[in-house]
Amino acid sequence: MSKDKSVFFLKVLVFALGIGLLTLALAGMAQPAAAVTPPVAQPGLTIHQAADNDACLSCHNKPDLTRSLPSGELLVLTIDKNHFSDSVHKGLNCTDCHTTITSFPHPDPKAQNLRDVSLQFYTICKTCHEKQYNLTLDSVHQKALAAGNTNAAICTDCHNPHTQTQLTDSAGHVLPEARVSIPTVCARCHSTIYDQYKNSVHGSALIGNGNPDVPTCIDCHGVHSIEDPTTAAFKLKSPQICAKCHTDPAIMSKYSISTQVLNTYVADFHGTTVTLFEKTSPDQATNKPVCFDCHGVHNIKRVDDPVYGLEMKQNLLKVCQRCHPDASANFPAAWMSHYIPSPTHDSLVYYVNLFYKIFIPTVIGGMAIFVISDIVRRLIDRRKGAKHA
Amino acid sequence: MSPTRKPRKPARPTAKQTPRKANGSRRRSQAAPRQYERFHWPQRVAHALLLTSFTLLGITGLPQKYAAADWAQAMIRFFGGIETTRLIHHTSAVVLMLLAVYHTVDIGYKIFVRRVRLTMLPGFKDVKDALQALLYNVGIFKSRPQMGRYTFEEKVEYWALIWGILIMGLTGFMMWNPIATTKILSGEFIPAAKAAHGGEAFLAVMAIVIWHMYGVHFRRFNKAMWTGKQTEEEMLHEHPLELADIKAGLAERPVNPKALRKRRTIYYPIASILALAMLLGIYGFVNGEKTAITTVSPFSTPVVVYVPQTPTPLPTSLPTPTSAAIPGGPLTWDGSIGVLLQSKCGLCHGAALATNGLSFATYADVMKGAQDGKIILPGDAANSKLVQIQQAGGHSVELSSDELALVIQWITANAPEK
Repeated sequence: MSKDKSVFFLKVLVFALGIGLLTLALAGMAQPAAAVTPPVAQPGLTIHQAADNDACLSCHNKPDLTRSLPSGELLVLTIDKNHFSDSVHKGLNCTDCHTTITSFPHPDPKAQNLRDVSLQFYTICKTCHEKQYNLTLDSVHQKALAAGNTNAAICTDCHNPHTQTQLTDSAGHVLPEARVSIPTVCARCHSTIYDQYKNSVHGSALIGNGNPDVPTCIDCHGVHSIEDPTTAAFKLKSPQICAKCHTDPAIMSKYSISTQVLNTYVADFHGTTVTLFEKTSPDQATNKPVCFDCHGVHNIKRVDDPVYGLEMKQNLLKVCQRCHPDASANFPAAWMSHYIPSPTHDSLVYYVNLFYKIFIPTVIGGMAIFVISDIVRRLIDRRKGAKHA
Repeated sequence: MSPTRKPRKPARPTAKQTPRKANGSRRRSQAAPRQYERFHWPQRVAHALLLTSFTLLGITGLPQKYAAADWAQAMIRFFGGIETTRLIHHTSAVVLMLLAVYHTVDIGYKIFVRRVRLTMLPGFKDVKDALQALLYNVGIFKSRPQMGRYTFEEKVEYWALIWGILIMGLTGFMMWNPIATTKILSGEFIPAAKAAHGGEAFLAVMAIVIWHMYGVHFRRFNKAMWTGKQTEEEMLHEHPLELADIKAGLAERPVNPKALRKRRTIYYPIASILALAMLLGIYGFVNGEKTAITTVSPFSTPVVVYVPQTPTPLPTSLPTPTSAAIPGGPLTWDGSIGVLLQSKCGLCHGAALATNGLSFATYADVMKGAQDGKIILPGDAANSKLVQIQQAGGHSVELSSDELALVIQWITANAPEK
């Protein structure tokens, strides 16, 4: 190799290295802020470490690979290779999660029943999804589990690790198709609630049309750190949940729904009380209604629904009578139905307000004129040394 | 607050002077340093109660009107929460209503029994006085108006209070008793009552701050409502016409003791019935209706939260279990046993893995056995390792008893291939 040639070769090498480093750096920057901490190689693996998943799948792709558990239940050990390769976990090794499998034959699972299997495994999700896992620790599900209810949902009940597809985009927003599928996930355990939801104004729009504006389960209940929705504290802050969308003109204008629903609620006796409780004693139990007490929880209907709609006075009266058993037909109009008083709606209230808008400045202004003129006169008299008559 | 009370006792001489307000009356006040009773003690007590209840109503009511504001929430927190705030408000309202009943009975007595002069009634002179005061202040008129027992300023305050109590009582009743109210009126009256109650409250508090506080606190600290007395100089300055009437003996109408006694015997029963009716009204106001139930959670029947779908979807699609079916062919390796053992054992003991050297892939492999020896001894099922391990139990995969019986039968028949 001549000197020229070797210099040229070095230059090319340096250039290539530079390009390579730059690409790496850019790739690193372009990587979305993933919710996932990349898996670390598990120490102690001998046989399957770095082995391709084909070794596992050579057995586990068999369609009837099962094992009976002491409970008599059948543990299905078949992994659908196609589903797995479509999942977000396709890049992982089986043994990244199945850390106890270090040799063949595999050690006996100590699970007594199918639920045991999941319960023994799900904490492994924490390895990569620590943030989400930690959020679940405060959830109603984890609290139920800690209290001994093994039916309570754990990671794998909602996210089958072998088939889970991508749920969020790079910005962390839930993908449209994922939003639609969320209620069916919750429905696995909360099927009666799902039945109510799917017929509600929100659920029917989501399930029927994939409407991106309507809330799916997690929009109200949150995800991972799902809170107990039966507490007094949840009730007190629940109007803010509804208000997230119902005070947003961008969404509400599409459906000609007023964005004043929160303001008008808070301005009324019920809403004022609830708001004050939330501010001053957030755990205070109250029988003052919040949004869902009148509109429904999961079975929310349109206000002009012919059977349940609150626009019909007789429907509203029934709702009022739940707490005001003696209420008569006139009573529901005491609530202004989220309208702001105007000459056409609740005109009496509008004109009372108008009266005071004029009356107060007139009276107070008149008094102020007297008082100010009196002060000025007295100051002038005092300066002059004059004496008041 | 009410028409002229008493003949002013020719008060004891006092050394107390008011040189601060020195004016043309100084000479006379020095000549006659007298005090005049302005408010009899029941009036002063009533005023103290009014002051207390009004203040409590104001400071517990306005935070409710402006509940969204931080200062309002701080005040409500100070009172111990909204429910305590409302309780204080309601209690003060009852005190104010009782005061109004007392005042009504008292006024009735003064008007019908004592036949006092109606010095609190507003008249044309008050309009004139107000105008003159204003014109004097702006320098057009040369002198202040001369006023009697109650100045136009005091009349404004008294009648504003009467108006305010009526409005607040009426609207307060509507809000306190919405069900009773809507039996007669349309529902809209409830929020309208709330609007009026709030507007009137703001007006009343502002009027007290501007009109009352200026008039009796800032302009001159008027202690008459507490001491009950005014000096002659103060009288001359503020109520010269009344002073003149007193001096002329006109302030008090002569009373015929006999007629007075007669009027009393008529008035007392009427007043008692009236007072009782009003007290019953207040009782009805407070306890008239049970507006709402008081239980905490009346809304929904308890939701059964955990209702899993049946069948609960499994993590992966459930394969159709085929292993349970025993192949029905002839009792040979090729006929049925091979298929059975391959499906049950072939996963670990197959061509791919051949755990412990054992494979069920072909007849030859099976008969060759494992690393540590044969597993099938044709004709001797009891000593065949396959049978021993399966009978002992605890192997990773276990044959069912039917399957094992079939295998034993096959070995006993010398384990034929074909």
